[in-house]
Amino acid sequence: MTATVHNPLIEVENLRVHFYGGAQPVCAVDGISFAIGAGETVALVGESGCGKSVTALALTRLVPQPAGRIVGGQVRLAGRDVLALSAAELRGLRGRDIAYIFQEPGSALNPVFTVGYQIGEAIRWHRSGSDVRAETLQMMRRVGLPEPEQQLRRYPHELSGGQQQRAMIAMALVCRPRLLVADEPTTALDVTIQAQILDLLQSLQQELGMAVLLITHNLGLVAETAHRVCLMYAGRIVESGIAEQVLAVPRHPYTRALLAAVPHLAQGAGRLRAIAGQVPNPAGLPPGCKFHPRCPLCRPRCRVAEPDWEEPPDHQGVRCFYWRSA
Amino acid sequence: MTAAPLLEVREVRVCYGPRRAPVHAVDGVSFTLAAGESLGLVGESGCGKSTLGRALLRLEPLQNGRIVFAGVDISALRDSRLKSFRGQAQMIFQDPHGALNPRLSVGSMLGEALAAHRRCRRAERAGRVADLLRAVGLDPLYARRYPHEFSGGQRQRVGLARALAVQPRLIVADEPVSALDVSVQVQILNLLQDLQRDLNLALLFIAHDLAAVRYLCQRVLVMYLGRIVESGPAAAVYAHPRHPYTAALLSAVPDVERGLQARRSGARRLVLPGDVPSPAADIPGCPFHPRCPSAEARCRVASPALRAVETDRCAACHFAETL
Repeated sequence: MTATVHNPLIEVENLRVHFYGGAQPVCAVDGISFAIGAGETVALVGESGCGKSVTALALTRLVPQPAGRIVGGQVRLAGRDVLALSAAELRGLRGRDIAYIFQEPGSALNPVFTVGYQIGEAIRWHRSGSDVRAETLQMMRRVGLPEPEQQLRRYPHELSGGQQQRAMIAMALVCRPRLLVADEPTTALDVTIQAQILDLLQSLQQELGMAVLLITHNLGLVAETAHRVCLMYAGRIVESGIAEQVLAVPRHPYTRALLAAVPHLAQGAGRLRAIAGQVPNPAGLPPGCKFHPRCPLCRPRCRVAEPDWEEPPDHQGVRCFYWRSA
Repeated sequence: MTAAPLLEVREVRVCYGPRRAPVHAVDGVSFTLAAGESLGLVGESGCGKSTLGRALLRLEPLQNGRIVFAGVDISALRDSRLKSFRGQAQMIFQDPHGALNPRLSVGSMLGEALAAHRRCRRAERAGRVADLLRAVGLDPLYARRYPHEFSGGQRQRVGLARALAVQPRLIVADEPVSALDVSVQVQILNLLQDLQRDLNLALLFIAHDLAAVRYLCQRVLVMYLGRIVESGPAAAVYAHPRHPYTAALLSAVPDVERGLQARRSGARRLVLPGDVPSPAADIPGCPFHPRCPSAEARCRVASPALRAVETDRCAACHFAETL
């Protein structure tokens, strides 16, 4: 899977995250591997509970403690083993090398500190001696926050949703991270604001040459912004490859079903084919292939054995016994 | 269309806040909805679409305007006559979890709707509940379960069954699928489509997802700051919008096919500047002019009325014809 990236910035290999608390540990992320090169956007796509957000948090060991635990695998950032770093080294990494923006800017910002303070926090932490105010203002201008001098002193609740997300982006990018993890960055926003934020992220990415891990459930967003895409289902990657290729000629039945189930703007009279059943609960996954209860191609073998990851020479990998026959 | 429409809405206005400084959440909206027709109502948050949907069912007080349902003016109905109207017009909500009483089993919830509107005898109730559950694709045995035992999609099916219990002629569905997982959304959209056709329901589908509206609705209304800025057959409006706001909304929706095409051609989406304004803002001229890419001097002073620009199509823009 790393074969398509020649000089990966971040490499994730066979990452496994479990959650403890119930009678049985819940396997939220089960052997995920992917890599992102500098300047590249990789989308991690899946529905609720598929493990995409947990994967994102695991990159800087932010998996909720004590219930969640990374039980296996490797995360390497520019060759460094992230999972072996000390707490102090991790603090140096978070916010400087890897930064996050989240779905709900309203709840991700701290309500009792001013926007300016929160944007400047990473500068104070990582680059002591810099002119915090000047750099904060510069970043606020860059992300298009109006009247930065006044906004600096405002509290998150005084900003609109779009402005809050801009402030989040300023916070994340103020130390020029090498990897930005954007977890559903526009889902909570109106479409016209969503378009503004996507434009801003794309131009900042080009400017800073950073890698972006885009976590989303929206395939339209993948088509418009991602270079490569990984589709997740029940804690596993079921298909991955160049975004254009995967969306144009999907191989895994889940990818195909998902694409067939999304209404298009240029919809004809045709009826969309719904995917039967519901997103599985990670605490009660079926045996065999995790998608088999909902799969139109399901055969007896799928109920008992889980297919291996298969990667043809074109690097559009897939986890299905029968992808060729469909 | 010569037959009288099932629902006729005229100059409806809904205000919030103090009387001396009212905020017009819905500001003079007129439209009609025929029996068996599906109408989409789109717009961004705060545009007044949910308030309008609730006002149509008399869940919000009207400032002025008239709502005529099946020939009866319902804008001032009270007591038993209002109740009988509500037996014909039902609502489905966005958050199916919040809309269901957690302490009632699905069977008693549906039974309550049947009893309140006297839709069947007590002895027939259990059978009717089973029929309703089957109609929305649920196992009749689920009647004994409680809302927390269901997934989001199943809860939305229960919400739909409850709305259908009284055999309504109109359903107002307020963002019925936006809280659901992508793979489950289409299940509910298809179910709505089937029921609407089979039962000849009039459907007002309120959504911010323009693709879902295109899929489900024959006609569409676009709302901005409490007013309708464009209306017409969905196919025509989507193919060639006559209001710059509609064009911007359509351009902003992430779409798989268009995204792939844009990669080949290098086309860029149209990005509107600024935030969605608050309905309390007092904007002179056309309410959309501060964000409009084609605004001219006239737009800053004169507010365009919603007017016919083609057969069946209306737009509130001075330059609708040249857009």
